[in-house]
Amino acid sequence: MLSLRSVTKRYGALTALDGVSLDIARGEFFGLLGPNGAGKSTLMSLAAGLRTPDAGALTLDGIVISPADPASRIPMGLVPQSIALFQDLSAEQNLRVFGELYGLHGAELRTRIDESLAAVGLAERRKDPVKNFSGGMQRRLNLITALLHRPKLLLCDEPTVGVDPQSRNAIFDYLEKCNREGLTIIYSTHYMEEATRLCSRIGIIDHGKIHALGTLDELLTRLPFEEEIVFPVSPASDALAAQLRNNGELATLDGRHRFRPRPDFKLSAFYAQAEALGLPPRNFTAARPSLEAVFLHLTGRTLRE
Amino acid sequence: MSVILTLVRKDIANFRRNRAAVVVTFLVPVVLIYIFGWVFGLNQKDTGPTGIRIAVVNASDNPAAAKLVDALKAEKAFNVITTTTNPDKSTRPLTEEDLRPMIEDDRFRYAVVIPADVVSTKTIGLHLKIFSDPRNDIESQTVNGLLQKTIFSNVPQLLGQSLQARAKDFLGGGRFTQFNRGIADTVASAFGGDPAAIQRTIESGSFGLDRLTTPAKPADPSLRRLDSTDPKAAAAPPAAPADDFFSRLIKIDDVQVVGKNVRSPAATRLVGGWAIMFLLFAVSGGATAYFDEANTGVFQRILSAPVSRAQLLWSRFFYGVLLGLIQLLSMFVAGKFMYGIDIFSHLGNLIAISIFAAAACSSFGMLIAALAPNAAAANGLSTLLVMVMSATGGAWFPMSFMPEFMQKIGKFTVVYWSMEGFLQVLWAQRTFVQLLPTLGILLGITLAVMFVAIWRLNKKAIFA
Repeated sequence: MLSLRSVTKRYGALTALDGVSLDIARGEFFGLLGPNGAGKSTLMSLAAGLRTPDAGALTLDGIVISPADPASRIPMGLVPQSIALFQDLSAEQNLRVFGELYGLHGAELRTRIDESLAAVGLAERRKDPVKNFSGGMQRRLNLITALLHRPKLLLCDEPTVGVDPQSRNAIFDYLEKCNREGLTIIYSTHYMEEATRLCSRIGIIDHGKIHALGTLDELLTRLPFEEEIVFPVSPASDALAAQLRNNGELATLDGRHRFRPRPDFKLSAFYAQAEALGLPPRNFTAARPSLEAVFLHLTGRTLRE
Repeated sequence: MSVILTLVRKDIANFRRNRAAVVVTFLVPVVLIYIFGWVFGLNQKDTGPTGIRIAVVNASDNPAAAKLVDALKAEKAFNVITTTTNPDKSTRPLTEEDLRPMIEDDRFRYAVVIPADVVSTKTIGLHLKIFSDPRNDIESQTVNGLLQKTIFSNVPQLLGQSLQARAKDFLGGGRFTQFNRGIADTVASAFGGDPAAIQRTIESGSFGLDRLTTPAKPADPSLRRLDSTDPKAAAAPPAAPADDFFSRLIKIDDVQVVGKNVRSPAATRLVGGWAIMFLLFAVSGGATAYFDEANTGVFQRILSAPVSRAQLLWSRFFYGVLLGLIQLLSMFVAGKFMYGIDIFSHLGNLIAISIFAAAACSSFGMLIAALAPNAAAANGLSTLLVMVMSATGGAWFPMSFMPEFMQKIGKFTVVYWSMEGFLQVLWAQRTFVQLLPTLGILLGITLAVMFVAIWRLNKKAIFA
């Protein structure tokens, strides 16, 4: 459906996207995972036809996406990172403006506005100015505004920034429902939890390059370990960490050591060393590694850096 | 105290980082002080208005009348026009019949006619005519004052001739010569001198009356005004006894060519300048709104729809035109009800000029958005532009008060041409066809400014 071929975008001396090639299939829920400044928003703006690549090409169903060709943008909807709404207008007026820009009018537009507002629980607040909405309500309106014209492809550029958990879940539920109904979604985020929950395929992006691409399971198989043991930093645990360094990857983050043992390393040996240092077993948590570990493994830095 | 100092330091740091605030705080006042300095002659040895076009028709063959014309030419405030061009490109002296149509065409706004009977044999005194289009009140008062000063400084000889002519008519040729010879002999015997030379001086009308005139002085608003529509001002007494003496001897026919039927002249003169200044402030607010929409991602969302950048920019322009039109018409309606300005007699033309003025102002809003890097800078730039254009364009004081190079600059401003348009409609009551050149200039300004604005906006990153 969406195809990027060797796409490069520069801003002066900064290369925001560096020869990215990517194919998004119809019906996919594709996650673009990377830290701030990785190139996610640039990729989204190119895909939305807001900018022109310096090299390479983007096509949607074979049609080149270009700022010079407004028609190429009709099959897409963009949920910007910011609340891109007219704050003094009501929810209904906002939807009407953007609906009309896509050529919707009359009864059809009214019906779609009613359906959209009802779908995200804003029907009763339809006449209220957007500036009186909570952050979560504004985010929901921000989302349905991009869906009013029923696009084939939805581009969500970090759509849950600053949203409370309840509204975030409501947005996730709505997006999953849309995806089940056939909508193709590209979702950029720096929250691995969001990518893990929502996305059928994930691309890990950093410094303008796609470092890995695949389903969650496929990405996890890239790790040279299958378990991750997390334990708090302390003088005793620091000694343990020093002993473990030769038996796998060790990272320290947010006051916790994260030990990823080599496949041939026996966990019984780990616990024996811990016991010898007087560290109680309750300090240790063993779990399947996360996308954070994949990102760290691939890029050498965390998603929050 | 340390808390207060910390907060003050914070404010200073914020201020220094806000370039627009720095511009508004320091540059705008300096630029305006510079302009006012020119206007009020703070940086000049030679102050006062310059380059006011005034036509002079001298139908008299009296040498003193020619001297008066020379005196008017020597007055630096005036750019004296005495000739006109024929259809075959040859030139000829202006006649009284030329004046009315030329004033109506705004070739000049003031004209002095020295008629053939400037010195009458029937009455003692002089007769002059002044034609005017007093569309600018301050300028008209100034011109009136300067004309009176120049005339009173040069008429004594003419008055003397008037006395001589009246005496000759009364006494008859022989007794008149005998009378003058008798006076000359008496003067020569009492004070010395050549009786024949004294007689020639007497017969030339030079009685030393010029010593009664007041020295040259700036325009005095209390002098009788050219604007005969204001009876109170017209009846104002002259300032000096000598002026009073001469004003009784000089009969000036005031002929107001343009605007004499205007119901509320003072308000009609002012409303255009005020309206256009407020309009500029309103549309420059639109430039700030541009940045708000760019920064909140609204532009990004709009442009992700099937909307071109050109459509987006032109929509902002047309919104500015619409807002400006409504604002202008609201101000004129308010002027109608508060000050009795007649707008309904020329409503069609008023709407036409308002549309073109609003378009020109809206294009300036777009230019500000194109040139400024952010909303704060747009605020600063718009304040600077609006104030400078209002000052140099004549919204605050007559352009003739400024040096000639600034008058030329002023004619490139939207303020000047918009005010011209409003005055042509409301004051001069021109027809739509007569209005077309001004509409064309405003359209030209709009297109030129929009060309630059769109060129810059197309190059500019419209969103982060």
